[in-house]
Amino acid sequence: MLSRIFAIIRREYLERVRTKAFWISTIIVPVFLGAMIIIPSWLAVRGGGTFNVAVLDLSGHFAQPVADEVSHMLSSDKEKLVINLKPIEPGPDPAATRERVKNAVQAQKYDGMLVLPATLPGSGQPEYLAPNVAAFKLLSVLERSVNNAVVAARLTGAGLDPSQVRELTKRVGLKTLKLGTKGEETRDQGQGFLLSYAFMLIIYMSVLMYGLYVMRGVLEEKTNRIVEVVIATVKPFELMLGKILGIGAVGLTQFLIWGIAMMVVTAPGAAAAVGLSGMQMPSFPPLLMIFFVVYFVLGFLLFGTLYAGIGAAFDTEQEAQNFQFVIMTPLIASLLLMVQVINQPDSALSVVLSLIPFFTPMLMFLRMTLVQVPALQLAASVILMVATILGAAWVVGKIYRVGILMHGSKPKMKDLVRWIREA
Amino acid sequence: MDPILDLEGLTKRFGDHLAVDNLSFTVPRGSVFGLLGPNGAGKTTTIRMIMRIILPDEGAALLDGRPVDDDRRRLIGYLPEERGLYRKMKVLEHLTFFGTTRGLPPKEAKKRASAWLERFELGDWATHKVEDLSKGMQQKVQFIGTILHRPQMLILDEPFSGLDPINTRELKDLLLEMRKEGVTVVLSTHVLPQVDELCDHICLINRARPILTGALADIRERFGGNTWLVKGSFNGDGIDALPGVSSVRPLEERLLVELEAGAPSRELLSALIERGDVETFTRFVPDLENIFIRAVEEDKAHAE
Repeated sequence: MLSRIFAIIRREYLERVRTKAFWISTIIVPVFLGAMIIIPSWLAVRGGGTFNVAVLDLSGHFAQPVADEVSHMLSSDKEKLVINLKPIEPGPDPAATRERVKNAVQAQKYDGMLVLPATLPGSGQPEYLAPNVAAFKLLSVLERSVNNAVVAARLTGAGLDPSQVRELTKRVGLKTLKLGTKGEETRDQGQGFLLSYAFMLIIYMSVLMYGLYVMRGVLEEKTNRIVEVVIATVKPFELMLGKILGIGAVGLTQFLIWGIAMMVVTAPGAAAAVGLSGMQMPSFPPLLMIFFVVYFVLGFLLFGTLYAGIGAAFDTEQEAQNFQFVIMTPLIASLLLMVQVINQPDSALSVVLSLIPFFTPMLMFLRMTLVQVPALQLAASVILMVATILGAAWVVGKIYRVGILMHGSKPKMKDLVRWIREA
Repeated sequence: MDPILDLEGLTKRFGDHLAVDNLSFTVPRGSVFGLLGPNGAGKTTTIRMIMRIILPDEGAALLDGRPVDDDRRRLIGYLPEERGLYRKMKVLEHLTFFGTTRGLPPKEAKKRASAWLERFELGDWATHKVEDLSKGMQQKVQFIGTILHRPQMLILDEPFSGLDPINTRELKDLLLEMRKEGVTVVLSTHVLPQVDELCDHICLINRARPILTGALADIRERFGGNTWLVKGSFNGDGIDALPGVSSVRPLEERLLVELEAGAPSRELLSALIERGDVETFTRFVPDLENIFIRAVEEDKAHAE
């Protein structure tokens, strides 16, 4: 019996590992996830280039202080952001002048215009008008400069010394330290969480993707009419098991490749070599790594089994698609429930949710990245999942046995129930 | 007779529809057994029940006197009516896969598969994907998969469907060859002339029920009865009035003369010789189609 299941596993595994799709997804997913983590932080700090900004100072006395603040701020800038401020005389008709400068911005003579209202330093809000308002660094420099200049004027007006006030109101900041299991303190500014979040998404996507492979595989055997040839010598349950295990092994192979790639990238010196010396590589505890694999395996076995049932019950992917939402719902729900778990990882609700087998692979993993989950809960989650998988395999095995030989009419819910009872 | 397969009252219902009704027959070891009947008669359901693809509502199939279970059915080489291959797999790998699911070690499976591919002149296709093969070639690959583990018994459901005359001939020859080696073959078909020369035992099924079972020679004898095929240059008028003759009808350029049961044929022959030259005088051997049509009619009359 084992040699036959192994023959099935081997076939499923080799057929998939040899496809281009496997290698493309193996390469693309980490690139995509890496980009998702790195690009926003990269965008936030980065922003070189030269900007010409017209300054329409209706108040008459803020253009210079703002310019001073800007040059002060840029003097320590590493990325050589250059902001050229061009003061514009408001003239007798400020509204007409604003319109004229606006047209000039439109004609790309300036990158943008800064309008300082006449009411400053009292009420009134300065405006920045530009075709591109996504130049984050430029905006941040302008905003802080205007802010500083106006606040300084207000302080002076109130008889206070701006530099003294600035010194006294300097931000204190909060140093975040993550307390490890052995009492070690590591500096963590959220990269650790971001990485865990990425890993949780990998569990989600992998369970979904490989689950769909199982469904497609079962459908292929049905439509190609090969299933009867195979189950004349292999029991339907053995075929189902072999298929699920073979496809699961493909997923684990993919993770192994990613794991090795990650070890190479995070090796000392490697980060510097690719120019990311500034980025601190987050730590990823071994326990989390182990449970990442455990929850992927359990999650895949659970959802893969359900997908096998759907594949067996229907004739075409279109028909199966309509039923697929039943499986997709818990997966998507766990994405939605994530917010609850992140905010209160130790609340009774979060504990219960993370113990529900359909949510466990994602929500329990998420909790593990946030807090120290008691070993008892981890054990309970694994036991509950294994029990659910066995139950699902028992039910789906029956649907599978009948369904793979059925062609033609689409089964209704009551047919499925009958198959389970009769098989 | 040494039976290899015994069917005892196999019955299967699908909802209100009775697909197979109390079917019993015995397949002698080393025979070629034809399970015959029109489409929808219940042949495939019967075969699927023997192979435990579906389970009978009543009755059992015994292989060597013991019920067919999951292990013992692997002793049978089974070619289902609905057959297919994994399109993306390479031919030799596919056959190796078939072999290993039937319990062969991978190396042995590969060796045997290569040998068979050579014999069927498919050696050059071993490393091609299945989807590159023509339909006829895919059928051959399928058949190789069925016999790879050298089963002592083959069950083939409509083995000739989709084959051209040359491939049909090739497969028939192979089946006869395997029979010489002692392999028992059970095959089903609705195209009766295809197996007329192949089967030595048959079971005719019509509307879920067996209407004729046994050795083909005996059945031919029974349906041929006391009927003679005559050719010659003699005056054919009034033959039907001769003593013992019950009917006369022309068949191509010959006459088909049916005698009453027990009436001696030599009286007919001497009567004919008196009338002229007789070229041939042979006992009429009905073909399967003929037998089948008459059996169905008899069955209908019996039912009424």
